[in-house]
Amino acid sequence: MRSPGDAGRGNDAGRGARDAGRAGVEHAVGTSPAVTARPAHRAPRPVAAVLELLLRAAVIALLAWFLVTTVRARRHGRVEDAASRTLHAALARWSTVSSPATVHVSLDHPPAGLERDWLAALPGAGTAVAWNGPSLLPTAIMVEPRADPARGADVSVAAPESATVVLRDTVGTLDSARAGATGVRAYVPRPRATTDALVGAVAARAAIHDSLHLGRLLVLGQAGWEAKFTIASLEERGWKVDAHVAVSPKSDVRQGEIADIDTARYSAVLALDTTAARWGDRIARYVRQGGGLVLWAPAAKARSLASLAPGAPGTLIEDEGAAPSDTAPRAALSLVPITSLASDAVVLERRGPDASLAARRVGAGRVIETGYVNSWRWRMAGGDDAPDRHRDWIAGLVASVAYAGRGSVSAPPTDVAPLASLIDRLGPAAPAWGGAARDPERIARWVFAVLCVSLLVEWASRRLRGVK
Amino acid sequence: MSQFVFATAEYASGDWESAPSLPEAVIDAVAKYTTIDVAPVGVNVKLSSNELFNFPFVWMTGHLPVRFTDEERRNVQRYVERGGLLMIDDHNHDITGQFHKTATEEIERLFGKMTRLPNDHELYRCFFVFEDGPPNTHHELNGYGDDLLHKYLDAVLVHDRIGLIYSSKDYSSEWNFHAETKKTMTQDPTKFGVNLIVYALTR
Repeated sequence: MRSPGDAGRGNDAGRGARDAGRAGVEHAVGTSPAVTARPAHRAPRPVAAVLELLLRAAVIALLAWFLVTTVRARRHGRVEDAASRTLHAALARWSTVSSPATVHVSLDHPPAGLERDWLAALPGAGTAVAWNGPSLLPTAIMVEPRADPARGADVSVAAPESATVVLRDTVGTLDSARAGATGVRAYVPRPRATTDALVGAVAARAAIHDSLHLGRLLVLGQAGWEAKFTIASLEERGWKVDAHVAVSPKSDVRQGEIADIDTARYSAVLALDTTAARWGDRIARYVRQGGGLVLWAPAAKARSLASLAPGAPGTLIEDEGAAPSDTAPRAALSLVPITSLASDAVVLERRGPDASLAARRVGAGRVIETGYVNSWRWRMAGGDDAPDRHRDWIAGLVASVAYAGRGSVSAPPTDVAPLASLIDRLGPAAPAWGGAARDPERIARWVFAVLCVSLLVEWASRRLRGVK
Repeated sequence: MSQFVFATAEYASGDWESAPSLPEAVIDAVAKYTTIDVAPVGVNVKLSSNELFNFPFVWMTGHLPVRFTDEERRNVQRYVERGGLLMIDDHNHDITGQFHKTATEEIERLFGKMTRLPNDHELYRCFFVFEDGPPNTHHELNGYGDDLLHKYLDAVLVHDRIGLIYSSKDYSSEWNFHAETKKTMTQDPTKFGVNLIVYALTR
């Protein structure tokens, strides 16, 4: 830019050139007519003049662009846009005073159910809806009641791998975890009306829709510490337990009346060893009808139970007598590895190279097999909270297979997969909004302002240079 | 795997080893009448040691005053609350004796007042049936000690299960013999010992 002083100096130079021109003409008149009059030198175009030229060009370009925009808007209809924070007001405007042909919404969090439904209704009123939200992460949550008298719930969250998932309920934050390849799974001991999973700005909400009707459990095995502490843990958990514990060839210790083994009475059968083989055929029928079976690996030696087992029992690895630690309590237990896995078996846990927990479906029922044969040591010799954790673990094994009748319960509104719902209602996200066809009415005042300023500057520049 | 091992409690005060042949007699009975996988010899385990928690049934006896150390007290409480069964038998068969006074004092200090076990309790029916509750011992019948026939056992219950049994019947004298001696007996006095073990392993 040149200063007014520069412009003044430029005017002096111009005047000099004009004076020189006049002198040349006088010289030609007074001396020789054959000599052509020429200025002494050509002055460079002043910067101010260049600026003025650019401003004039910009004004013409802006007018042309505005004209094209207006023509396009007339042809395609008016387009409006909104962001998450202005969406509610925009929806009200689009539905009342304004009727744009197309609206585009840039979302930084999924709209609430009301706004989503409102957007989905706009096409019915002749307004096309497009949206985008590159920061919205696909998230879904499911809450299932656990087949457990403690009435807890299993929460499963689907989220992009390594995303941070925060679980919360109506009271506050429950826990947070980083999502793995299969998302996040958690156990909520006392689920509230709703449970939320927060992943970035996306909040998915789920509620329990079923109540479970639990039956009894049947424990079958030889008298021993594992039988004793298994029964004790389950009863402390709240299960009603029938038991048939073998003590001698002629006598058993019975607890409860062991009636027909069917899903009407039992939620699960727990077979600790081969003494359960006496009921093998009945157990097999029960499982195929939908019952649950928890099998300690030694029980799978019995031919009648082997066909149900996820795997065959391997060679016993005796524990070394160390106290179970708080961090890896099952590492200190004796293990019968689960080997020769059935083709449809799924290994749920390994200890080193050995499968220690495996499961499979048999007919309509489920079977889980544990290789830990003296889990009672965890409860007796573990850390301060070992009895609770052992009880939770045993209850978890049972819950993973237990049969439970279901009844529906009323549940509050949920939004289990906000992004999926959004796509379901509005279609897939559109590319980012480029602004190619903006609303001429809304930008007219800006265009007018820019034009005025440009022309004013151009006029002022010329006047300062002394040019009309 | 989970073999039953008969454990005798070793404590800092008193004479914990006063019935050295008792484990052998009880183990013999368990092996003879049941299919329970039982170790052929018993072990002694210190009440103050973490080893205690590897033996969910422990027998404790003695004649002399009992004063638990802090570790013993802490372990006994934890042991019972976790589901272990501690059987304490007064080897004096004397409710005015020092063992009874001090042992019951220690128990009540840890668990409060004990419950009188009814004679139709599962303990008396889980294997052999004892219609009248705990079987009497020769020491009771012959008028030794306090010269009383104790008709009941006392207990500490945890979740409706027996966590501790206190006996004034002196089974420690009754069962303190070599297993071979049973050949000369018309009735095996250790049958109630089998019930104790079966109850401990199944409830």
